[in-house]
Amino acid sequence: MSYLEANRENWAKLREFQERTARRNWAKTEFDWGLWKVPEAEIGAVGDVSDLDVVELGSGIAYWSAWLARRGARPVAVDLTPSQLEIAALMQQEFGLEFPLVEANAEQTPLPDASFDLAFSEYGASIWCDPYKWIPEAARLLRPGGRLVYMKNATIAMLCAPEDEDAQLTADLLHDYFGMHRFDWPDGTAEFHLGFGDHIRCLRDAGFELENVWELQAPADAQTHPVYNYVTAEWARQWPSEEIWAARKVA
Amino acid sequence: MDSSSLTEHAARNQAHWDRDAADYQRRNAEHIACGEAWGVWQIPESELNVLGDVAGLDVLEAGCGAAQWGIALARRGARMTGLDLSEQQLAHARAAGADFPLVHATAEALPFADESFDVVFADHGAYTFTDPYLSIPEAARVLRPGGLLAFSHNSPIDSLCWDEPSQTMLPQLRRPYFDLHREEWGDHITFNLPYSKWIQLFGANGLAVEALIELRPAAEATSTYRDDTDHAWARRFPMDEIWKLRKR
Repeated sequence: MSYLEANRENWAKLREFQERTARRNWAKTEFDWGLWKVPEAEIGAVGDVSDLDVVELGSGIAYWSAWLARRGARPVAVDLTPSQLEIAALMQQEFGLEFPLVEANAEQTPLPDASFDLAFSEYGASIWCDPYKWIPEAARLLRPGGRLVYMKNATIAMLCAPEDEDAQLTADLLHDYFGMHRFDWPDGTAEFHLGFGDHIRCLRDAGFELENVWELQAPADAQTHPVYNYVTAEWARQWPSEEIWAARKVA
Repeated sequence: MDSSSLTEHAARNQAHWDRDAADYQRRNAEHIACGEAWGVWQIPESELNVLGDVAGLDVLEAGCGAAQWGIALARRGARMTGLDLSEQQLAHARAAGADFPLVHATAEALPFADESFDVVFADHGAYTFTDPYLSIPEAARVLRPGGLLAFSHNSPIDSLCWDEPSQTMLPQLRRPYFDLHREEWGDHITFNLPYSKWIQLFGANGLAVEALIELRPAAEATSTYRDDTDHAWARRFPMDEIWKLRKR
């Protein structure tokens, strides 16, 4: 089974969890980033999206697309997992927000060249797809000058990621930095994380200029997330657990 | 130069280098003699091609020490300027035959006009021993549009993994990350930042990131700066790295 099939199956299994959280996530009017709920208003990675054509790559149940639509964007949500898009379709009806839902691998979408102003991913293609495939695909989809913004696990956090997915990060570096790319998990799923040098090279080779990187820190009063507890608030106060990257397609 | 205008850390680093210059050059002479090689593990410029063709370009080395790099680049046709805060280091540069301007000053306040260089570079030089919030804007200021800033320094991961009690590198995060800035070593001070803070600082000064070259020593590499334990660590994690930046 390929990592794409394993990743799709894994997300299908999480349907119940997704259904439970879908309504709450779709109802959000203010958006915040990641485990520590850092407000987008504070980061400003996405910026003004009104009237932008946006593609969300690895959208899951597409709540970011919903938020972008409310802000005046025209989103297209792309995901590999039919059950996630089914939930997204239900939410669209419930919330009266319509936008295209496309079942596709974000490494190779059926969407036309140069048709978007912003490509976006939050723990979607940004970790579940091979950056040497999905980043060039994002470049293909973007118009010249278009932006790519995505969130992923932090590079340093991935060096500390234990094999056992129920175990928590410690201060020990368990993976080599040189050559870091694909992380295979015992259940057959795979994630992708590059070191900073390779990551920057991958973006440049695909025609992007790096705009910014944010490494997110858990605030002093943060509590460990009840579900995503692989990283404790204590760890994430000291070291970066999540990163946001922003790049611009060279005109 | 008037040392009363130096920042406190610059004055301490100046005293350190004036004291250590002779011993430093003796300890490392053979290892760094070739000039055109980067960092702790002396990876050849011919392999990395960071600076490109420097013939006819105005090139500033910020923290030139005994000018091993500058002498080699001048031979390739660069119009070199060497800058160092240590008069003792510059004395070594003169003794080595550097026949280009050697300027005694800190990279935190460069005594050059705006847009006067095509290339500013350092190899574990100024951008290790100065506060980047002072020295990076200065580098950007003296570069011409389209000019190159390239510097090597210890990676942020290296800064995190130094174990003070055992005086060795561990595959373990030994200190917090987010406040990474000033590093006290008793007789001198170095500086580092989180990756994102470097990138934000470059962006704020009109410097586009072209590459981050993380240096990995060959399996058989040795260094006068580091021991076998460090080498084993550096095979797994980036100990030093080169930022390659283009002024917009």
